Amino acid sequence: MTGAADIAGLPAGLPKRPASRGLASPLLVGLGLALACAAPLGLNGYALYLLTLAGIFALVALGLNLLTGYAGQISLCHAAFFGVGAYATALLTTKAGLPYLVSLPLGALLTTAIGAAAAVPALRLKNLYLAIATLGFGVVLQKIIFEWRDLTGGGGGLALSAPTIAGYELGATGLYYLTLAFVILGLWGAWNVSRGRTGRALRIIKESEIAAASLGIHIARYKVTAFALSAFYAALAGGLFAYLVRYINPESFNVGLSIAFLSMVVIGGLGTIGGSIVGAAFYVIVPELLRGIKDAPGLVFGLLLVVVMVFMPQGLWGMARRLVWKR
Amino acid sequence: MTRLAIENVSVDFGGVHALKDVSFSFEAGSIVGLIGPNGAGKSTLLNCISGITRPTTGRVRLGETVLSTRNAADIAGQGIGRVFQHPELVLDLTARDNLLIACHRSLDYGLLSELLMLPGVWRREREAAQRVADVLRRLGIADSADTEVRSLPYGHRKLIDLGRALLMDIGFLLLDEPIAGLNDPEIAHLTALLLELRQEFGFGILVVEHNMPFVSRLCERLVVLDLGQLIADGLPAEVLSDARVISSYLGEAADA
Repeated sequence: MTGAADIAGLPAGLPKRPASRGLASPLLVGLGLALACAAPLGLNGYALYLLTLAGIFALVALGLNLLTGYAGQISLCHAAFFGVGAYATALLTTKAGLPYLVSLPLGALLTTAIGAAAAVPALRLKNLYLAIATLGFGVVLQKIIFEWRDLTGGGGGLALSAPTIAGYELGATGLYYLTLAFVILGLWGAWNVSRGRTGRALRIIKESEIAAASLGIHIARYKVTAFALSAFYAALAGGLFAYLVRYINPESFNVGLSIAFLSMVVIGGLGTIGGSIVGAAFYVIVPELLRGIKDAPGLVFGLLLVVVMVFMPQGLWGMARRLVWKR
Repeated sequence: MTRLAIENVSVDFGGVHALKDVSFSFEAGSIVGLIGPNGAGKSTLLNCISGITRPTTGRVRLGETVLSTRNAADIAGQGIGRVFQHPELVLDLTARDNLLIACHRSLDYGLLSELLMLPGVWRREREAAQRVADVLRRLGIADSADTEVRSLPYGHRKLIDLGRALLMDIGFLLLDEPIAGLNDPEIAHLTALLLELRQEFGFGILVVEHNMPFVSRLCERLVVLDLGQLIADGLPAEVLSDARVISSYLGEAADA
């Protein structure tokens, strides 16, 4: 049988992308990278803490955006993945005595398996139904951390000392650079996936599962992949978070945090990689900037969220992209 | 020559018989029209072939391979392409990226190499992009390659949907009302294109369509369904003059 794909004999060479896009992107990336590398020089301790936190949340948002923005699967259990990653990394480091740089990816891999299990309801459920199912899943994970007192210390939480890498104690600046390295790697990976075969499969699954299947895409496999991959990102971030705050408690990883993660993705821009970074930065930094406003920082921040959503439904990044690249 | 065979297929939806013991088969390279009044079971039959609906009894066979026990993605992988009545495209992706989605099966690199963008991935992506560019040119919409589908006319979108099937190495193509919503020049273009593509690639086409002039120009054989049963099967001229077909379908169409 002749394959419809073997249409041959046509000249090679792809049409060029508009020049503005080709130039603006590396420029923006370079500028952001330079700023991020230089940041610890000009910032005080608290500001550096906030920036590290923004980086950690950006990592979660990158993974969650692949799941929610690309594949269209809502999750309200990412705070639990974040928490499991935090606990797994902390316990592997303190109780199993593994080096921090080993326990971090190991804890994330463990959480990846749990993330894959969380995909099972997604094979049957959609939208709000899936949201509630994942909410339940998150509550169960949080409860397990709470009840497994021998291992996790239960409600009393877990106090941690500064992590060490090859004998050197990792201070605030060190942890910032470690986070930055993971954000860059995570950004690069998410960018590649979003442009590749998996990202495209996720996009069409979000659009129409029937169409995706008729193009030979195994829906279940990709939903599991998306959940697992985004759990990996969340858990890696959790492992960094544990050593940023040096004290973790099951209470911190509640549904409120899951909703915050979801908000970052939506504010930044669903289905955009840059949006994950912008959304996380917005969520961490803007409330701090509003502290000066007497009595009502929460009120202003809440209203700001409403305004962003009403006037920029495609998110901050989506808006910027339309303005800068005219698309 | 590969045959696609529908063998004694029945589908019950909770007591409603959508299809009753339907059997017919056709070869790669032939074009068969599937006609009948609304609710006759035409779409259900397409869904059975592409694995979206499982037959209650009976089976669908491609050559020696039984399709009806497999899932939709595997059936697509066996070379059964499907073009929907309303093209299901990702609106904020370009025409090119929408077509790249259909290269899914031929791009078989793993997730890890994709995350790291290994050189192999890069090379395979470039090959796929080339095949997409060729298909866009073949469909006559190469100019729209970099345009978001959102801003493309409906006719272009239908062609992109057809292009996705072409990228999948298909042996059979299922078309669900391909000309609904198209204007006359677009219909003429699509008719000529389908005949050419069939000649070039040798795939078989099963087409559901209400427009009789289009059906008679395209199809070499017609199969008629009414209330889930096959009531006629033969050359277009014979079928269209069949008394039962006229009373159940064409008469209704004339009244309407």
